Amino acid sequence: MTSISTGSARPSPALAMRSLLRADFLVLLNSKTSGLLSFFPPVVIVVATTFGKSQSRLGGPGLIIGLALTIGLIISCLLGYTLALAHDREIGVLQRLRVTPAPTWMILSSRLIVQVVINLVASIVVVIVGAILHGLAITAGQYLLVLAIATLGAAVFLSIGQALVGLVRSTNAINAIARLLMAVLMILGLVGGTGLLGDTLKTIADWTPVGALMTLFSDVLNHAAWSSQTSYALLACTGYIIVFAYIGIRWFRWESR
Amino acid sequence: MGEVIAPAPPPALDVTDLQVAYGSRTVVDGVSLTISRGEIFGLLGPNGAGKTTTLSAIEGLVKAKSGTLLVDGVHVQQQPLEAKARLGVQLQSSSFQAELPIEQIAKLYGGLYGMKLSNEQIQEGMRDIGLEQERGKRFKQLSGGQQQRLALFVATIHDPLLLLLDEPTAGLDPQSRRGLWRRIERLRGDNRSILLTTHSMEEAQAVCDRVAIIDHGTLLTTGTPAELIDKHEHDPRVVAEAHGAVTLEDVFIGLTGSEIRD
Repeated sequence: MTSISTGSARPSPALAMRSLLRADFLVLLNSKTSGLLSFFPPVVIVVATTFGKSQSRLGGPGLIIGLALTIGLIISCLLGYTLALAHDREIGVLQRLRVTPAPTWMILSSRLIVQVVINLVASIVVVIVGAILHGLAITAGQYLLVLAIATLGAAVFLSIGQALVGLVRSTNAINAIARLLMAVLMILGLVGGTGLLGDTLKTIADWTPVGALMTLFSDVLNHAAWSSQTSYALLACTGYIIVFAYIGIRWFRWESR
Repeated sequence: MGEVIAPAPPPALDVTDLQVAYGSRTVVDGVSLTISRGEIFGLLGPNGAGKTTTLSAIEGLVKAKSGTLLVDGVHVQQQPLEAKARLGVQLQSSSFQAELPIEQIAKLYGGLYGMKLSNEQIQEGMRDIGLEQERGKRFKQLSGGQQQRLALFVATIHDPLLLLLDEPTAGLDPQSRRGLWRRIERLRGDNRSILLTTHSMEEAQAVCDRVAIIDHGTLLTTGTPAELIDKHEHDPRVVAEAHGAVTLEDVFIGLTGSEIRD
């Protein structure tokens, strides 16, 4: 290749970030599984719940759309982001990026930003489809609040995923734990939240990431007034982000060996 | 009035008394070496000798316990990003994002080194490494030899002062290996410096100006391949390994032992 310049000075951080964002976005687009994980399950939920009496059993359209959004976030963050990060670490993609002059925070931030953007787009699609199918009138302010909560939710599950990759080195183990964690969170958050498993489990469920997030989504979509439960849910989500992000950053290792 | 003489540029790499430890285990112990501009330096050693760890310390992937690492006079530990900007690196396993088309890989790494590559520049680069037809393919769709060629292209995309190649010809067929040697020779012609690790004595003799043999984290000897043979040809351990005229491989086996390492 023709020599362009002798690399010596530290390159522009803005150009490095743009390059990383473009590459991470293309990887996500080219990996069809990741795309499907973000969009398909929540859309299936809002479509499937239009049949029969499931809408009233599940607590109305606000809660159903909240449920769909939460499940979409869990799947795309815990399975999509976490497994992709663990896999790239195992095969050495992260080490290859690390030997470049890009700061390490930039390498991880780019991935997180792309994942959050995909989650936001998926959330908008789910809310639009859900509102049409379930006959819910949503204002512009509600859309904005849904996006804010989707960002918060993505941050919760991404920080949990980051903590998992930080604490566990083996990709196979991460794969197994992420799936188990996802199942436990869903069961506890969804079934526990209905009260079917008793009051104690309902209280626990309300405080889980899934329960807290569903409370926020449903309050926004049902035009509910700000309550102490909303404050606690917001507080719980913030707490999860702080704790898991700290673990994920503190114990993160760039190679799996 | 006397003529003002410009100071000589610093060496491409200057490593002094490098020590690296994993926990309580010291894996690199007191390594010192200097690589001049335009020099190709080979680091030879059996598995687990400390070759890759030495490279990793220069690349900033592992933290040195003690010692000094200077790339073009820039302190690796104190100014890691500035030092990395001067390095081109090919790791032992050439791993790029499997789902990324290779022209996008070139754009990504160009951008990380501060270069906006035009499509024409990428096309020219791909033609140069014989991947012009494959430039829309994803990395995972390339053969091992193609991946290796791409890895070297990416490592040199910013025209670095010092190139670090960790076993660059491992797993390549003879044609690909010769092709890589030609590209290394061309880089020498451009006054680039190269530090490479290898298990192949043939490779060391074919492309390296100087070599060092490392074992158990310590440099055992350094010099041109011919100097090493001259220096050690009467060593009883080397004589015991030689079948006829002493070769670089005899010197290597004589100094590092004949037991198999994992």
